[in-house]
Amino acid sequence: MVRIGIISLAHMHAYSYASAVNQLPNAKLVGIYDDNEERGKRGAEMFRTRFFADAEELLKHVDAVIICSENAFHRKWTELAAKHGKDILCEKPIATSVEDAKAMIKACEEAGVRLQIAFPVRFCTPIRRVKALLDEGAIGEIVAVRGTNRGQMPGGWFIQKELAGGGAVMDHTVHVVDVVRWLTGKEVVSVYAEVDTMIHDVDIDDCGMLFMELEGGIPFTQDPSWSRPKSFHTWGDVTLELVGTQGSLYVDALAQSIRIYDDGAGKLVTQPFTEDMDLALIADFVEMVATKRSPSITGFDGLQAMAVALAAYESARLGQPVALKP
Amino acid sequence: MIRVAVIGYGTMGRLHASIWKKLPGARLAAVADLDPERRQHAEAQLGVKSYVKGEEVIGDPDIDLVDICVPTDGHAELIRRAVEMDKHVFCEKPLVRTREECDLVERLAAEARKKIGVGHVVRFFPEYVAAREKILSGAVGRPAVARAFRGGSLFPRGWQDWYADFARSGGVILDLAIHDIDYLRWCFGEVERVYAKTTRGVTDERMEHAFVMLRFKNGVIAHVEGSWANYPGQFYTALEIAGSKGMVEFDTRKTAAIVYNKAAAGEEWANVAVPESPSLVSPYEAELADMVAAIREGREPKVTLKDAVATVRVALAAVESAETGRVISL
Repeated sequence: MVRIGIISLAHMHAYSYASAVNQLPNAKLVGIYDDNEERGKRGAEMFRTRFFADAEELLKHVDAVIICSENAFHRKWTELAAKHGKDILCEKPIATSVEDAKAMIKACEEAGVRLQIAFPVRFCTPIRRVKALLDEGAIGEIVAVRGTNRGQMPGGWFIQKELAGGGAVMDHTVHVVDVVRWLTGKEVVSVYAEVDTMIHDVDIDDCGMLFMELEGGIPFTQDPSWSRPKSFHTWGDVTLELVGTQGSLYVDALAQSIRIYDDGAGKLVTQPFTEDMDLALIADFVEMVATKRSPSITGFDGLQAMAVALAAYESARLGQPVALKP
Repeated sequence: MIRVAVIGYGTMGRLHASIWKKLPGARLAAVADLDPERRQHAEAQLGVKSYVKGEEVIGDPDIDLVDICVPTDGHAELIRRAVEMDKHVFCEKPLVRTREECDLVERLAAEARKKIGVGHVVRFFPEYVAAREKILSGAVGRPAVARAFRGGSLFPRGWQDWYADFARSGGVILDLAIHDIDYLRWCFGEVERVYAKTTRGVTDERMEHAFVMLRFKNGVIAHVEGSWANYPGQFYTALEIAGSKGMVEFDTRKTAAIVYNKAAAGEEWANVAVPESPSLVSPYEAELADMVAAIREGREPKVTLKDAVATVRVALAAVESAETGRVISL
């Protein structure tokens, strides 16, 4: 039985991960630490587990932790968990600066603990099918990639730069960059971005557009905008179009859903019937802890995706494309 | 009655000729094409006289308007001659191929005594018109992010395979994505800067997929995508404009009112589904009717030469950006 603790419920994905841990026969949610006591206690009650007012106390009782704090605190909690010799699943983005991300990777290496970054899209069944098709060479050589990961404006700490590290571009670039790196096996070598605040009354970027180049001169675009209106049928989207020399593949990670015309909500809503990617992510992590194998998504993966988001901000500031360091 | 000659009897020339043939206020009088088989076809099917060269038909005193449907790199010279001969001109998009030709036709337009219209037909497609009206009426609040897609079918085969010749067509950005560049200019005004990426150089000349990012002076960030990817698919277009209060979007794969499933005789697996969005007046007919009305009413056509030149300049900036990797300010 793998004993799991959750450090902070600040990121809403913590709730989905907690539920996943409770569904797994080989894992136990030992407790939740949260610097927001009220939120932590409520969460502990919701998932029938114990609330810890002290993170170090929680760390004494677990084999591994899931860190879902505000992005800026990922480093602090990762370093603490590493010090206690615990394996870590850290919510994306890995951190808010290259310096912090590198420090986290180093701390985990030195402590001999495994660090995995939570990119659940890699566990989305339609995305896994695309990976299998690409590995078979189904569309020949990939020559162009278009991604979208739009959403509604999340509010809360997501719109506080000191806690989130950035707005829409930080929030919604990393998933698509990670999954494209994984699908193509290629790194992003340059990015040009337009970034602005035009949609919501917030003090952080809420829309943007990234035009990247993958190794081998492959164009790759990504739209991370918080551009889904309140009346949109769901929280957002994750889509990819891969154009190859022998065909193309389009995948909509949320397409597997039913449509509900809901008078109560006053709008059309969709409800997914896709297999639960968060559950698959957590199952993979628990297995990693149990078998002591290497993480399927590493700290380096987290660093590479975050570095693209940071380069996008730099590009927008300079008005020029920015090269990523190899 | 406006007497019309169509120059270039290829895909667009045939489509335009079939419309001129029945359009009230106009009479199709001649067709010019270098290819003798095409000339024969025009004479037999349309009952009009034919010419070999565009220059000859422009010189015909019985012609009032020339409709230029030749490959892009031939437009500027025919416009020059038509303006010299005091003919009305309707020219297919893209208006011209190069920046020098942009300068030339702008000078010509300044001295032209007759009307010049340009075939940016997307401004006549009802879904695009409706979306623009919604944007202008404030339905999405402040527009912020626009996305436009066009493509999905096989590479176009033209006379002498001219689409594959970059020097003639300008590739997928100048020939195809220009539709959406023009439409977005119509919605949002002038473009501040452009950045673009294309597969040209990676893929062979008969397959190009391009992304163009436009930053408009009003702030709007646009993602324009054009595709001549060399695999079988259904041609479609899609538009999405998101703003501070809402979003408009459509995808022609979803707005096709009819899907016609036809069993291929004897070949069970060769069946095809043909989507169709029928209308009583086609957008191509509407753009030519507007040209006739502009001449009759003494007003400018809906898409002016000045407008089309501005659109070509943005598209050429995108081509330059894709070639140099630089951000191009306009």
